[in-house]
Amino acid sequence: MKLILTGILAGLLAATAARADEMVFTSWGGTTQEAQTKSWAAPFEASSGIKVLQDGPTDYGKLKAMVEGGSVAWDVVDVEMDFAIKAAKDGLLEPIDFNVVPKADLDPRFTTDHAVGSFYYSFVLAWNKGAVSGEPTGWADMFDLTKFPGKRTFYKWSAPGVIEIALLADGVPADKLYPLDLDRAFKKLDTIKSEIVWWDSGAQSQQLIASGEAAFGQLWNGRVFALQQDGADVGASWKQNMTAADVLVIPKGSKNKASAMKFLATATSAKSQAMFAEASGYAPINTAAKAEMPADVVKSLPDAYVDGQIDLDMNYWAENRDKIAERWYAWQAK
Amino acid sequence: MSGNLLHRLPILRRSDGIGGALPALTLITLFFVVPVVALLLRSVTDPVPGLQNYATLFGDGTYARVFFNTFLVATVVTAVTVIVAFPVAWMLAIMPPALGSIVFGIIILSMWTNLLTRTYAWMVLLQRTGVINRTLMDIGLISEPLPLINNLTGVTIGMVYIMLPFMILPLVGTLRAIDPMTLRAAALCGASPFDAFRRILLPLSLPGIAAGGLMVFVMSLGYFVTPTLLGGTSNMMLAAMIAQMIQSLLNWGLGSAAAFILLLVTMALYALQLRLVGAKRMTGGI
Repeated sequence: MKLILTGILAGLLAATAARADEMVFTSWGGTTQEAQTKSWAAPFEASSGIKVLQDGPTDYGKLKAMVEGGSVAWDVVDVEMDFAIKAAKDGLLEPIDFNVVPKADLDPRFTTDHAVGSFYYSFVLAWNKGAVSGEPTGWADMFDLTKFPGKRTFYKWSAPGVIEIALLADGVPADKLYPLDLDRAFKKLDTIKSEIVWWDSGAQSQQLIASGEAAFGQLWNGRVFALQQDGADVGASWKQNMTAADVLVIPKGSKNKASAMKFLATATSAKSQAMFAEASGYAPINTAAKAEMPADVVKSLPDAYVDGQIDLDMNYWAENRDKIAERWYAWQAK
Repeated sequence: MSGNLLHRLPILRRSDGIGGALPALTLITLFFVVPVVALLLRSVTDPVPGLQNYATLFGDGTYARVFFNTFLVATVVTAVTVIVAFPVAWMLAIMPPALGSIVFGIIILSMWTNLLTRTYAWMVLLQRTGVINRTLMDIGLISEPLPLINNLTGVTIGMVYIMLPFMILPLVGTLRAIDPMTLRAAALCGASPFDAFRRILLPLSLPGIAAGGLMVFVMSLGYFVTPTLLGGTSNMMLAAMIAQMIQSLLNWGLGSAAAFILLLVTMALYALQLRLVGAKRMTGGI
């Protein structure tokens, strides 16, 4: 019965399944997916003759339904790295064929047996200069309601980032973050809970900060970069910026696995990664990409702010994802 | 299961046979009954056979709070909708038909606009830097933005707006059926307008209020988009919680159990509605 349900679900989802000379790429929409389309899909289509259909946004529930129902409509999916580690363990992903996807230049931090990096980014502290008096200098300022009153915005979903920010603000040294002290983190978050506005998509985080609806918040650096490019009066602090990565995966049972592998090879190549980084402000996962980029773009990347930079621990998160998520959502609903 | 329901619906019994209804019934069986049964099965088999998913839902304070929120929002929305809809419905009932059909058209037209668009429009109006707060601050009525969004206020405003047609339409039907002479008679007998409303109009319009109110309540229980966009995380309703379990937590067993409970509650309310209001009014009496 379980199979029938998932079969029906997946059948519906796969109703627009790609033909042999087509494949489907799924990502998160917005400026990020536009940049991926332009930097990866377009050159891939030109060189391979395989048409890349765009779909989205990424939805882990759908991905699981497709794989369990045996009717996979997505061939390459952009997912968060901690999800990828967990999903590989749960048997939802195809192993990467590194004979097709050259591994030599890929940043080993973001490469696993079942995933290659898509891009990596930092969480930075961004603020609307018109809505904040003075300059916040670090995560602790987001918890200082007297010095910095106003709404602050954080990422809504249970994911690496906010818990770590709360702990750092509470005085936990950066090298002692893991294992995460959840009690302490939630206690710290309680002190500003009434002032938190949650963002659940990158576009929303931009809208909140640009309009001053939230005075400041924890944003993906690429989104801040795009705001500043558009001339919005937005400041950013890179102090203790936190890196995390999106990775590209192939759902188990993809009907265009061979095309998908070739797509990964193009997407992770130095040239495509450089193009994408230039368009999005996110960092390339191909270590040779920087040589292909203009110097001023290289300066705006997380790589330029390694001093005090914190790598969010994806393996810890993959291991504890469900447990943390349960507490996270319970706390939010309170 | 479907056969049972069929015989209890008088409107179907009146028809000559179910031959013509076969395509629709097949569709409902395939895409509603089968998935619902699968849902129920999943809720007691995933991840292991047993009732642990239901035990979790009932035993955990968080989930209890979400259930409470859901009923709270549905109750508040229904009450406010009734209060707002009644004058409109009354006006429509006594209006000249030509003018009435224009107002009707406007109400119906609002239902044709995309739900998401309408909800986003409310975000633009209600947020701290939104049109309403800006205007009120500009004319000096308030010095701090009113908290109109990310809370129960925002959810109520957005949902009442969407639910209004579902309340107004059945209510107009009921109000039109009331003989205006009864109100004149009340006035002649010395009843004040308020007395006439309280003792004549209100009791006579109760079937319409009950029909519309239950419809609004039942629809509100399963609402997702509006509470998610206009409410805060502490206003989470069942539908949003189910989506979270399915999409983010990938805990399909628990999500199925919650969905099944929501379905049961909704069906129980529908049965109550059938009993109170009568199937005839529900299915074709307006």
